Amino acid sequence: MHDTRTNTNRAGRELRLAQIGLHEEVELVRIDLPDEQAEPLLERGLLPGCRLCPVRLSPAGDPVVMVDGTLLALRRETADCLCVRLARGLAD
Amino acid sequence: MSASGPRSVRRPAAPGSEAGSTATLGERSQAPPTRPLVALVGPPNAGKSTLFNQLTGLRQKIANYPGVTVEKKLGVVDLGDGLEVELVDLPGVNGFSARTADERITRDVLEGRAPGLRAPDALVLIVDSTRLEPHLMLVEPTLALGVPTLLALNMADELHARGGAVDPSALGEALGVTAVETNARTGQGLDQVRRFLRAVAERGPLPERACPAVSNVAKGTPLPMADQFARRRRHIAELTRRAGFRAAGPSALTRRLDALFLHRVWGPLIFLVVGVVVFQAMFTWATPFMDGVEAVIAGSGEWLAARLPESWFRSLLIDGVWSGVGSVLVFLPQILVLFLFLGILEDSGYMARAAVIADRLMYRVGLQGRAFLPLLSAYACAVPAVLAARTVEDERDRLATIFVAPFMTCSARLPVYALLIAAFIPERPLLGPFMGTRAATLLGLYALGVLAAVGSAFLLKRTLLRGEPSSFLMELPPYRVPSLRSLGLRLVDRTRVFLRRAGRIILLVAVVLWGLTQVPRVDGGAPPIDESALAAAGHVIEPAIRPLGFDWRIGVGLVSSLAAREVIVATLGTIYGVEDADEGSIQLQAALQRDLDLGSAVALLVFFVFALQCMSTVAVVRRETGGWKWPLIQWSYMLALAYGGAFLANWLI
Repeated sequence: MHDTRTNTNRAGRELRLAQIGLHEEVELVRIDLPDEQAEPLLERGLLPGCRLCPVRLSPAGDPVVMVDGTLLALRRETADCLCVRLARGLAD
Repeated sequence: MSASGPRSVRRPAAPGSEAGSTATLGERSQAPPTRPLVALVGPPNAGKSTLFNQLTGLRQKIANYPGVTVEKKLGVVDLGDGLEVELVDLPGVNGFSARTADERITRDVLEGRAPGLRAPDALVLIVDSTRLEPHLMLVEPTLALGVPTLLALNMADELHARGGAVDPSALGEALGVTAVETNARTGQGLDQVRRFLRAVAERGPLPERACPAVSNVAKGTPLPMADQFARRRRHIAELTRRAGFRAAGPSALTRRLDALFLHRVWGPLIFLVVGVVVFQAMFTWATPFMDGVEAVIAGSGEWLAARLPESWFRSLLIDGVWSGVGSVLVFLPQILVLFLFLGILEDSGYMARAAVIADRLMYRVGLQGRAFLPLLSAYACAVPAVLAARTVEDERDRLATIFVAPFMTCSARLPVYALLIAAFIPERPLLGPFMGTRAATLLGLYALGVLAAVGSAFLLKRTLLRGEPSSFLMELPPYRVPSLRSLGLRLVDRTRVFLRRAGRIILLVAVVLWGLTQVPRVDGGAPPIDESALAAAGHVIEPAIRPLGFDWRIGVGLVSSLAAREVIVATLGTIYGVEDADEGSIQLQAALQRDLDLGSAVALLVFFVFALQCMSTVAVVRRETGGWKWPLIQWSYMLALAYGGAFLANWLI
């Protein structure tokens, strides 16, 4: 998707899941949602520290991500609340 | 299947009946516990219900937990040599936060606090092996209960086929439970599950005890919730590592099918085709069966009538009970067709994709993706639609879906629309040969219904069902071929539930309405309908409906159509003395033209668009929402809207 240079520039920086291209593996840093709304995400394995990867966009442009071998469909609004950083060592 | 339903209804109170009878299982659980209770716990889509069905067959009893809509599914597992355990199938949950009704019930049952159920004496945890780690996260808190536990690693064959691996005995040892690999669909590994249950049955029920609480995160610790989850996740990772777990590779089939079903162009197109097919199936394929049911009811009624002496009892039986039961049974083919389709869509995994595609559109309205198919099916009939709203997981969204479903133009409104349009709307071309005034009117009535549904959903989400927008999160399970056995049992389930719960109330209303046509007695017989108590009811409400342009005759029609909308056609036929009245009857149209003007005719149409004149729907909503609150609000709201709309129409035109 992206060439190595953009990846190194973005590496380590915190991004929003919504800004991540398809098939880029990232690590979840933080969920910017109140506990009640974050809990369903936590229950399904969207935990700080987990690896996730957007694999597809729905026809309306909402992301489908792969976490722990499970496919999860999110709304864009939710993806905007997920703080991620590019997983290290994936660029090479 | 129809034979097993009534049997389990009529013979509930036979406490001393022989062991092994298929009918009386739930009642006996109140006797001193001789059979241990085993709870089946697992996330949605892990194969829990399939395993439950495999173990219990038709020895199931479905009820509701008091005050909530969650179904209590109990079954008996016969383990040979007179050994049995009682199995409770808990709803599929994603955690123990007790946020949803499903999660609260699961927690209550596990902690032994559910009314009428004692604390389980053993657990069967079922997880999908291809999603082992997240699913272990879910079931791990239940280990704190300390009861004998079996971990069923379901869909193990798929794990191996996709290059994954796990050592069940090592995993069981690490978790302190017995772990076995199963495939609930094919029955592989079932003998090991039964061996475990047999050991539970031989040991008998556990003594009374205090159960520890089951929850996602420990209460009262300073650690933030996300960190507690992360800690448990690391623990699970360590356990699975010791068990030699290797995750399944991506499913090529799922990836390829998703590329099609979630494609930017093909996805919505296929979605539309699926919608049209479901709609068509309910509208057209179910019709011959519905006609068949009607013919059988009418035929058997006549047969019975010919063999009974003329009396009030015959009238009660034929005109009250028989036609009342008939008005329920006639929906059954539509319900079965819809649930067959919903079952296939759900079990194959397509439903989750359809929900994703519909979500944006429905989200704008205040609903969510999963509400789409229930609402679509409401065009055929609101009754199956309300039942199908169960697929909407979020409680508020589900209530909103149920609430607006009757605004969709169901097939029972069509005879009324057809009669009034034919009588009052002259046919003139509007769009050349494509559409005339009559078709346009019909289309307008459909649109008015949609508008009312959208507006009401919007309103509801800002008033009664206000709350934080739920974070829509849809797990997309791997595609799988649905099992016939599961589909069949699901249909049997739905039939039983529908006939039992809706049937009772409808029977009652039908008998009351029949009673109103029978009094006051004239020469020891039923009065002419315009002198009956039903007509008196029409006169009583006449002042109220006068502003809408209706007289008492229409009032009688409205009262009788409380049972079902299309009944008004037959009632008006009776009042105007038109033989064999149906919506195509010229005589009836002529009679209506004398009594109504265009304004009041349109008012009547508008009234039928909005009003909830269908006791079947009311009965089903009561059942599905666990009380009278929602059906009453819904009925009053729709009546108010109908009255207001009709008043406005009569005043404007």
